[in-house]
Amino acid sequence: MKTLSRLETRRDQLIGVALFLSVWEVAAQLFDKPLLLPPVSAILTALWDLIISGELITALGESIFLLIVGLLVAIVIGFVFGTIIARSKTAYWMLNPYFSALFVTPTIALVPLVLVWFGFGFTGRVLVVVLAAVVPILFSVASGLRDAPGDLIDVARSFGVKGEIPLLFTVRLRAALPVLMAGLRLAAGRAVVGMAVAETYLRLGGIGGLIKSYGAVFRTDYVFASILPLSLLGILLVSGIGRIERRLKWS
Amino acid sequence: MENTHITNSSTGTSAIELSGIRKTFTLSEDKNAQQVLALDGIDLSINQGEFLTIIGPSGCGKTTLLRIMASLILPDEGRVIVEGEAVSEPDIKRAMVFQTFGLFPWKTVLDNVVFPLIVRKYPAQQTREIAIQHIKQVGLEKFQNAYPHQLSGGMQQRVGLARALSTGADILLMDEPFGAIDAQTRELMQEELMRICQEEQKTVVFITHDLNEAVMLADRVLLMSRGPGQVREIISVNLPRPRTEYDVRAHQEFVRVRGHLWRELRNDLIEQRTEEMV
Repeated sequence: MKTLSRLETRRDQLIGVALFLSVWEVAAQLFDKPLLLPPVSAILTALWDLIISGELITALGESIFLLIVGLLVAIVIGFVFGTIIARSKTAYWMLNPYFSALFVTPTIALVPLVLVWFGFGFTGRVLVVVLAAVVPILFSVASGLRDAPGDLIDVARSFGVKGEIPLLFTVRLRAALPVLMAGLRLAAGRAVVGMAVAETYLRLGGIGGLIKSYGAVFRTDYVFASILPLSLLGILLVSGIGRIERRLKWS
Repeated sequence: MENTHITNSSTGTSAIELSGIRKTFTLSEDKNAQQVLALDGIDLSINQGEFLTIIGPSGCGKTTLLRIMASLILPDEGRVIVEGEAVSEPDIKRAMVFQTFGLFPWKTVLDNVVFPLIVRKYPAQQTREIAIQHIKQVGLEKFQNAYPHQLSGGMQQRVGLARALSTGADILLMDEPFGAIDAQTRELMQEELMRICQEEQKTVVFITHDLNEAVMLADRVLLMSRGPGQVREIISVNLPRPRTEYDVRAHQEFVRVRGHLWRELRNDLIEQRTEEMV
């Protein structure tokens, strides 16, 4: 297979999108059941309407704020517990099963509990995002720190770096950074899902709220128009982190 | 040249003095696990400007001894005295060169060499100049901005050497530094190391498992014996400097010292095998 230049790849992707949308448009017009499959033109009109009315911007702002707060809390918790289970075998064996269980439990299954404990407020929504995102961060911190190259610790110490905290920052964390970024990338994807779940199943709000409320009144074109920015947000976040990750790798 | 070493040593204090060094390790994390005696009563005095090589069967505690000299670990008993002062932490007088090069893969050559100076809080402009000077000294000026993974093993160890030299330490502690380097590059680097150390009057402690290397480089060779690690013998090598591998190999003194060391080492290895069979 011929390798493509960056530009050629982009061009092919654009052609692909155009083809896909044209087929969709034609099929939807022929099918003529906008409730089931609204034509692309209707979706774009709906999207334009959402932008003009300011509804989308408000919702997006709310969602991004929730996402950022949730991710930051998840990063802090992930670092603390990740460091603890990396440094203590006892802590690892005691805590690891719970984190593993949390990792495989669908976040949506935890929503009723969050609702009972924290109500519909912002705390509850943040908690849902944290529950979705924390484990990949925690595990990547733990494995990144555990695999820290012992000889580099010796190097740093022999050249005068003193104490566990300076060693953590000059060597351990830096050496673990590519692994940490991979964990963060995974976490960001899950956080977007957690965000949508929180906004749909707790108090309605943000992009998730838009989707749910337009869905409830069968405005499928507006539902699609709201899903689009949500996907874009996720893609931008994940690929942005991926880009930083590639820069930090050394081989 | 040989004479300057001897004069140095007879006048000043020792570069490193070890007395009664004893070190045990616990094999696993289990508190009741078996204790292994790694070093048992090592007494040793290393002269200033001396090139001391350490050789011995694997597991004899060579690396442990070097790590104690570097204050990376502390002995259970005994004292380490560097240039007249008892030490318990790494300091600017000693610099280490590592078997696996120990370069930070995320730093460029220049940043790796600058690292010890930054840790010691030298002024920024000065650190750069010092680092570049030592990168030139090992012939890597064209690779200042390269990353370690872009360099061959020999080049990486040159960076390791430049880093140790840039600290200005009088004492270089080298743990099988050429062990992971191909044979031809190794010979070149041995010559370069001898030249640099002679020019700069460095004291070198150099661990190796290669007998030729041990004799070729050394003013004195320390032969260690296995479990518990002890000094079995210290032999002076009376070969003129500067030395090159080509000249030295055929020298009578080289053949004598090498032959003697090999017989001793061989006995130790055979004893070990017999014990294992019993």
